[in-house]
Amino acid sequence: MIERLKKYCGCISPSGCEDEIRELIIQDIQQIATRYEVDRMGNLIAFKKGRKTPDKKVVVSAHMDEVGLMVKYISDEGYIYFDPIGGIDPRVVGGRRVVIGDKRIYGVVASKAIHLQKKKERGMVVPLEEMYIDIGCDDKKSCEEVVSVGDVATFVPNFEEFGDGLIKSKAIDDRFGCALLVELMQEELEYDTYFAFVTCEEVGTDGAKQVAFNLRPDIAIAIEATTAGDVLGAPKSRYACELRKGAVISHIDGSTIYDKKLVEYALATAQENNIKCQLKNVIAGGNDASAYQRTAAGARVLAVSAPTRYIHSASNVVCKDDLFEIKKLVLALLQKGF
Amino acid sequence: MERIFELACAFSELPAVSGQEHIGMERVAELCKGYFDSYEVTPVGSFIGRISCGKAGAKTLLLDAHIDEIGFIVSEICEGGFLKVVNIGGIDPRILPASEVLIYGKKTITGIFTSKPPHLQEKDELEKPMKLEDLAIDTGYSKEQLEEIVSIGTPVGYRSPVVRLQNNAIAGKSFDDRICAVSILRALEMLKEKELPVNIAVQFSGGEETGYKGATTASYQIAPDFAICLDVTNAYVPDAPAYRKDIKMGGGPSISFSAQTSRKLTIKAVETAKKNGIPHQLFAEPNHTGTNSGAIQTSRGGVPTVLVSIPLKNMHTANEVVMLSDVYDTSRLICELALSLKEGI
Repeated sequence: MIERLKKYCGCISPSGCEDEIRELIIQDIQQIATRYEVDRMGNLIAFKKGRKTPDKKVVVSAHMDEVGLMVKYISDEGYIYFDPIGGIDPRVVGGRRVVIGDKRIYGVVASKAIHLQKKKERGMVVPLEEMYIDIGCDDKKSCEEVVSVGDVATFVPNFEEFGDGLIKSKAIDDRFGCALLVELMQEELEYDTYFAFVTCEEVGTDGAKQVAFNLRPDIAIAIEATTAGDVLGAPKSRYACELRKGAVISHIDGSTIYDKKLVEYALATAQENNIKCQLKNVIAGGNDASAYQRTAAGARVLAVSAPTRYIHSASNVVCKDDLFEIKKLVLALLQKGF
Repeated sequence: MERIFELACAFSELPAVSGQEHIGMERVAELCKGYFDSYEVTPVGSFIGRISCGKAGAKTLLLDAHIDEIGFIVSEICEGGFLKVVNIGGIDPRILPASEVLIYGKKTITGIFTSKPPHLQEKDELEKPMKLEDLAIDTGYSKEQLEEIVSIGTPVGYRSPVVRLQNNAIAGKSFDDRICAVSILRALEMLKEKELPVNIAVQFSGGEETGYKGATTASYQIAPDFAICLDVTNAYVPDAPAYRKDIKMGGGPSISFSAQTSRKLTIKAVETAKKNGIPHQLFAEPNHTGTNSGAIQTSRGGVPTVLVSIPLKNMHTANEVVMLSDVYDTSRLICELALSLKEGI
């Protein structure tokens, strides 16, 4: 799973531009899926036949897109101004490296040297609309030869293991989910299951809405990366979740109140199988579960997530053991059935 | 240019946070192999290399670039494997959240600066200045494991392998002032086939970012007759003070007029650039230059010094940007100026 995750994290696929990641996933599933299709909005929906056909239609869902930037304006000096794609904290953008467009042009988000800052500028966060990317060009014309308004950019791929069993990379949110779904599809499944690789989660769970409408699942399980607040100085009550404590089950977040029976079922399954899991203790964030819950007549929803520090930045940080625990838990749920 | 890029990659990576240059010294000596007749490392972390011109009574020209970099040192090892650090030299906290660093402990390990999750942020937080004290470095180890690897005082530096941008520009860490060390070595390569009129001493000085102590002591040791101090200078960027507008990327080395340098040698440098068609720009900084030039110029009985700077953007960040052509032109200027010193100044 880790090698697959690394491969997926290397894609430049922010919301609305999921082609690259989708192609990689298709390569990986075409031999193992019973069938798959790409819908007209770019969602990839795979079906895997199990030993039995269940009463309830179950979909496991992960989003292919990642947060990124879009080129808005190129100045006379050849600097590139941008808007964020999805929610990005300006504090993790200043001074970072990005890669732009199909030509994979490297750039750095400029940050004015501390020597040139006025006193009142010191330490003050620059709003995203005032930041710009420098690709080394010194005029608009030469910049426009390689970059165009509308091109998308992401943080530079930087997947690496570090510390005691941790991984850092851009886009672990939600390439982890994508990698896990493929891993699950490699298993002999007890029941027929749908696997949805959806688009545009970061801009409002748009892809999942269409999948939910077309598929009409009874049960939807979102596999996600969720914010871990277990950083130095944060109060435990505000951690949301912690690294090394296993799969995160949400009973409520910023956009969904999860199906209570499914939450209890997941917790019980974890306990039966000795799988580490934790409950998210802060009401914040949201994911594709909200789309599945609200579309058409609605589905019962569950979210199982990887605790992830510094989400939506150049370096999401997760613990490998947590990822393996999540795989165990979701597989146990699928084999037990609903 | 390719040679400059290679050297830039190697020099950028050196671990030499100001005051702890010894960690990188062996690698500096390795990179300098073949360039000098002899070399030494001074007690305060400078590298000195010497080339003799073989002429009796020849004068000595000093070429200076500082080898230290801004960075951090560990101030506390905390629960959960986080490190608190204090800055060494001028650091802008705004570029740190979620950035990568290397921690030079018993082994070198990767760290990530923390960023506060959105749900923990106060409403008006973006209105308040960011402080280094509010951040920590996430190492991925437990406190106990970490205590085996690092201690209070362990240096920490940016991690940012050099990448190429468009237009011969490159981005990386610590081009302040390693790119000048590169320009010196490239100049020495140009001088190899030439007959030197003077002895050349090179000092890759430590401690510039924290008070010029490497240059002060190395210059004393060398006792040169004149010196070229090489540093980087802020190129103009949007919203920078207007007087910087003429310091342009790609405009060649900037030659400074200052009371901390020798006017005579400065004029000679400008004339040498003109005579040889080397692109260059002029900059006026009458008082402190914020470089080693003052320390060198006042060494022993005084050393006429010229300050030559390579234009750079995003100074003191993990993505300093320079242009290879500016480095090359700086090397040419060093080379021609050295050759012109036959009769002194």
